Amino acid sequence: MSTEAKQWLSRIQALKLPNRVHIINVCGGHERSIAQAGLRGLLPENIELIPGPGCPVCVCPEEDIYAAIQLALSEPVTLLAYGDLLRVPVNLPKGEPRTLMAARAEGADIRPVASPQEVLAIARDNPEKQHCFFMAGFETTTAPLAAMLAEGVPDNLSILLSARLTWPAVALLLNSDTPGFDALVAPGHVAAIMGAQQWSFVAQQHRVATAVAGFSSESLLAAFYSTLCQLLDGQPRLDNCYRDVVRDEGNLAAQRIIEQVLKVTDAHWRGIGVIANSGYTLRDGYMKHDARQRFSIVDDAQRHRAGLMPTGCDCTQVLLGKIYPNQCPLYGRSCTPRQPVGPCMISDEGACRIWWAAGVKS
Amino acid sequence: MCLAIPMQILSIDGTTARCSANGVEREVSLFLMQDRSLSMGDFVMVHVGYAIEQVQAIEAQRRWQLFDEMDRSADA
Repeated sequence: MSTEAKQWLSRIQALKLPNRVHIINVCGGHERSIAQAGLRGLLPENIELIPGPGCPVCVCPEEDIYAAIQLALSEPVTLLAYGDLLRVPVNLPKGEPRTLMAARAEGADIRPVASPQEVLAIARDNPEKQHCFFMAGFETTTAPLAAMLAEGVPDNLSILLSARLTWPAVALLLNSDTPGFDALVAPGHVAAIMGAQQWSFVAQQHRVATAVAGFSSESLLAAFYSTLCQLLDGQPRLDNCYRDVVRDEGNLAAQRIIEQVLKVTDAHWRGIGVIANSGYTLRDGYMKHDARQRFSIVDDAQRHRAGLMPTGCDCTQVLLGKIYPNQCPLYGRSCTPRQPVGPCMISDEGACRIWWAAGVKS
Repeated sequence: MCLAIPMQILSIDGTTARCSANGVEREVSLFLMQDRSLSMGDFVMVHVGYAIEQVQAIEAQRRWQLFDEMDRSADA
């Protein structure tokens, strides 16, 4: 640990906290940094760091994944997606393809990709074939997708979009009877795009201490210290502990491009339900690239009740910050990265997978 | 997915830059950076092939150090 990080830790340890404090994060990257650096074990016992809804793949609607699987199996289309989405299961009887990987094993043309440029290159190299890019992500990942569309994509490329905005999930928690946290560490790269200011409502409207953090131990510990001081002062406000990257107003060009290509809509979060103004759809000018328009993706109403987490899986409670990953009865028993049950054990940004990788085995 | 890596700009051609991080070179889109005046030697945070924001050199080096530590812990 660096000298600067140790200094922040000493400052935190010197604080006289009268009560137990719960600090939530809503970013898989934050949770990974916390878990890998072992920050929980270094902080005073009465500070709890809670992983919250920070995994877009984990909340990607089950019916969207089902639609992608059916599309890849029934149409002559190459389906492209960021890698961890390929392993997330839908709720189907045994024997039917439950994941995109399983559909690939049955002959569907499904490929993992790492960037929009790779998507473009594949579509351009195969002009005779239809391609569909299935994307789940928060604003940081949505901005590059919007940029790709704004720059122009070939006619043989369509988008199956499950993009989500981060702040509405935090607002949902704050508006509930039991938010379960006293302070928020706001996501650094979402804020780099959308602006630190986007998180001011947390302190102003809900009087919850807030600090934007980066991904180093220094930045995270600075953010913890800031929120703890805000609580001790009784004056919650928005602090920015990632000033090297995050501006108050964010990246305005990126915001303009998102606004040009996408419009905000109500959206379903797996296991959680519909959250107002929390998703994106393509604007009219880009609708011809909407996979839902191009292909007959059947919205099977009978499947809506199946749109929950897998049976027995407590991913919803993990995502809402109500329990720690290892409080799920399946964690480390029937659910491990080798044989995952729920998306939180599958996605690189899922709290369960992060905890397992950091050595929490039970 | 929100992982972003600081990279240094080696050259710029329109909205594309050749960037480097710890000796690894990549093509990076600057399409989201239309409000920033970038030049050779500047650092940007790169996410899925797109620069999402400019970053100071000191933060870039700190992040590289962090990734090295994460690599080491992943190997352990």
